[in-house]
Amino acid sequence: MHRSIPAWITCGALLLALAGSSTAAEKVTILFVGAEAGPAWKGAEQGIIEANILGRFTGQGYELKRSSASAVPKGAAAVIVAAGGPAAAGISDRVDGAVVNVTDGSDSLRKRCRANLFHTIPSDRMRADALAQWRRNSESQNNHVRAWHPDFVKFAARDLNNRYRKTHGEAMDDEAWAAWAAVKTITEAVTRGQTTDPIAIARYLREELEFDGQKGAPHSFRDTGQLRQPLLIVEDGKLVAEAPVRGVADPDDLDTLGLAACP
Amino acid sequence: MRCFLLLSLLVFLTACTAPDDVTHRLFVTNEADGTVTVIDSRSLEVVKTVEVGSRPRCIGFSPDRRLVYVALGNDNAIGVVDTRSLELVNTIPAGSDPEAFAVHPNGTIYLSNEDDALATALNPATGEILAEIPVGIEPEGVQVSPDGKLVVVTSESTNMVHMISVPGHEVVDNILVAARPREVTFTSDGKTAYVTCEVGGEVVKLDVEQRKVVDNLRMRREIRRVKPKGILLSHDEKTLYVSTGRGNSIVTLDPSTLEIQKVIPVGRRVWGIALSRDGKRLFSANGLDNNVSVVDTEKLEEVRKIPVGGRPWGVVIDD
Repeated sequence: MHRSIPAWITCGALLLALAGSSTAAEKVTILFVGAEAGPAWKGAEQGIIEANILGRFTGQGYELKRSSASAVPKGAAAVIVAAGGPAAAGISDRVDGAVVNVTDGSDSLRKRCRANLFHTIPSDRMRADALAQWRRNSESQNNHVRAWHPDFVKFAARDLNNRYRKTHGEAMDDEAWAAWAAVKTITEAVTRGQTTDPIAIARYLREELEFDGQKGAPHSFRDTGQLRQPLLIVEDGKLVAEAPVRGVADPDDLDTLGLAACP
Repeated sequence: MRCFLLLSLLVFLTACTAPDDVTHRLFVTNEADGTVTVIDSRSLEVVKTVEVGSRPRCIGFSPDRRLVYVALGNDNAIGVVDTRSLELVNTIPAGSDPEAFAVHPNGTIYLSNEDDALATALNPATGEILAEIPVGIEPEGVQVSPDGKLVVVTSESTNMVHMISVPGHEVVDNILVAARPREVTFTSDGKTAYVTCEVGGEVVKLDVEQRKVVDNLRMRREIRRVKPKGILLSHDEKTLYVSTGRGNSIVTLDPSTLEIQKVIPVGRRVWGIALSRDGKRLFSANGLDNNVSVVDTEKLEEVRKIPVGGRPWGVVIDD
């Protein structure tokens, strides 16, 4: 004899399911292609630690999984690539979600303007532009440009440097920062975009992201997939300035560094 | 009846004498110098510079205003200065890297431990840590609701406002706001709170009971380099004052619509703000100029600059 399920049972089951979903963390997997011992891996690990502090409040559990470049499984929220530009470009052809290059600065990669390929490491031209701005005021030729510096303290950079040192017992470098930023931007997309769908994450990164990279100005992605960001000038081994360089360029106009838009 | 009259007289006398009981002093933390500058709020002259410890940032009074507390980040402590003698009378261990705090009407200090992702409840009389509450990364702004039942803590790198119950010390809700939330202020009925978001360049309005964002103002288009930090309401709650950091200004907003009313240029990297009892003077700590601005809130303009110590951070007034 068929009897309909009493309403209170349905209701109760639904409530239980809801209660369950609010306590069990939703798993978010970020894939990592590259060497496990390198700074990029360590930066990504730092990002995961921080993502899970956020996830504790928002109901996600983040995990970082290594993958080979040739066999990237489907279903991950996003892929971080620390294995060079060709590998990143190749993977971006094969997956629908966001692929974030965290080590390769080549401008040819940016010029490709792939919808799902992102770069948190600064492009070579961004560094060259920053240096050109700085050299208009400096006599010294002994200078170079960094995405990050362990002596950087402003804008709570001190706090990120301390957290990283506490986790890994070493100083945070450019690639570590770029991979940390990759995880954090993906986390932002999941949390603010309220999605774990890889395509929606990639769309959020491109269209809506305003990211606090602990370098002051909010960072966002250009059409080229490059993350807009201030850069740091190091002269004679010391951190001396930020770019865009004040007095030479508008310090708020991050597009004075590198290719601003797709060709 | 006689008793009632006597009581009335006493209440009347107390009310009348209260203003005489205040010190008419401004207290300003100088983050780079390890000092607090004390300024007479009437003459606007510096009275004393008190050595307090390493990296003083947030500053606030005990409920009776006999003491002023200072968060000493590098000393992992709260410094205590007597507002009468102007001496450092105590240094209380307060967990790792205390940055900001608020004092509950019951005397408990709720503080953020910036590098430990914790909020700590500290009894300053005994030095006892009453609770350590896990919050987001780089916790910063702390505020107590007017009824004392809620403590809110912002986490700068997790972009949240955490709501903590008192006395249970449970995190009851977490509200996602724009990037790098720094400070919170409540309306006197406790129903609304306003939050500054530094990197997001926003002022966010929260419905406290619903625990959700009901409005936000994005200031970046109107004000160049805006990094909202300090926030407080005028005594009639018809004006919201916001310091804009590298925007180098104080902005007045309509608290109901969040519309910008006036941008008042002050000093560089303005953070802490305080309002006089009569509401006519607003004071701001200008971090890169090593001075405090005095703003006339009727004319809505800066009328004076007072030199203080290195990298002023916070300011409070007892008048």
